[in-house]
Amino acid sequence: MVAVAGKTPRATAGNGRENDPPLLILTSLASGPKHGYALLLDIDGFAGVRLGPGTLYGAISRLEERGLIAPVASQGRTRPYRLTAQGSAVLEATLAELRTIVEEGTSRLRARARSGATAGWGSA
Amino acid sequence: MRLLRIYPAAWRARYGEEFEALLEELDGVARMSRHDRIDVMRAGVGERLHVFGLAGLPPRERAREGSLLVLWAWTLFVLGGIGVQKASEHWQAVTPPAKQGLPAAAFDVLVVVAGAGSALVQLGVALVLPRLVALIRGGGWAQIRRPIIRAGLLSMLTAAATILLAQWAHSLSPAARNGHDVAYSGAFAVWAIFVAVCLFAWSAAAAATTRRLALSVGLLRVEASLGAAVAVAMAVMTIATAVWWEAVATTAPWFFEGRPVGSNTSVLVANMIAPMLLMLCATSLGAVGSMRALRAIASGARPL
Repeated sequence: MVAVAGKTPRATAGNGRENDPPLLILTSLASGPKHGYALLLDIDGFAGVRLGPGTLYGAISRLEERGLIAPVASQGRTRPYRLTAQGSAVLEATLAELRTIVEEGTSRLRARARSGATAGWGSA
Repeated sequence: MRLLRIYPAAWRARYGEEFEALLEELDGVARMSRHDRIDVMRAGVGERLHVFGLAGLPPRERAREGSLLVLWAWTLFVLGGIGVQKASEHWQAVTPPAKQGLPAAAFDVLVVVAGAGSALVQLGVALVLPRLVALIRGGGWAQIRRPIIRAGLLSMLTAAATILLAQWAHSLSPAARNGHDVAYSGAFAVWAIFVAVCLFAWSAAAAATTRRLALSVGLLRVEASLGAAVAVAMAVMTIATAVWWEAVATTAPWFFEGRPVGSNTSVLVANMIAPMLLMLCATSLGAVGSMRALRAIASGARPL
């Protein structure tokens, strides 16, 4: 699927994930080098998030500045980027943090389902 | 493409061509939406702000930069403090003893909090020293040596200038030391510039070095808390200075222009206004820096 500006309803679903462009870019590059347009397509494909071009390149410049990604030599005007060793380590650390939250949330939801609780502290 | 003009020239030089290629590719699939155009404009403004360190940083970097802003603010505050210290010399000598209570209390607060603030800043520096040692042991000296050597050389020059000035001052009368000797006043002004440049050089060295250090979230949290305490200390000292100024202006206004006791003179003198402005600016910067660091920490200070 080719996701184009404003053409996909989920692109502007506002689920919060569009606030993580660096994470999405590093995740995308974990499967190999990509240029800007390929990144947009890949991110839309695996996360359902349509990053704006300005947002994408803002994040690319920050990530390159911090040595987390690096450009790959290419011919023509497009320039692919690859994940560096440092980028790989940061992605791993970030995913581990997120995993902790996901696991905790999942286990709490399971416990809640098992106990059949429906009322929280705020309920009468 | 006109939209690209919003971006800083350096950014355009580095990313302009490939970014333009992406925009053309998007435009080729379907015309760029209004949403995308706004996104490009917003990001362009963000890049301009990023040049000044005001946008585009991940939480952990924001926390670090916030704490460093407090350090810069402290440097500025020290300059203002030196100015106040110089301008307030011998104020008790011309103030009626019975009316020294409030200004003396305000001045004591200023001195005590200045000591506490200095201790907090030194603690903040001491806490990152093990990371600095690790960086140097890991071969990182080459990355940080330039600003440190520059600051060290400036310190030696300032120390030499201080010794020469002190020797000269000993041979002068108090009146000559306090503005009646033009040559000495000029030399004092040059020395003050040396001190200011030296202080800023060390702050620049500390900032450049800290940016190279791997700081944990826990350490960033401690630094942010220390930064907040330093910002509060600066606010307290600014208020104490204002109270002291107002109290002396009420009880001994002749002090500020060095006129005889009982003279009717202005209390709005440049050697108090300038340091007060420096202190106010520094306090504001410190508040902004510490808020930035604390907010970044509150957001979780994730590495991305």
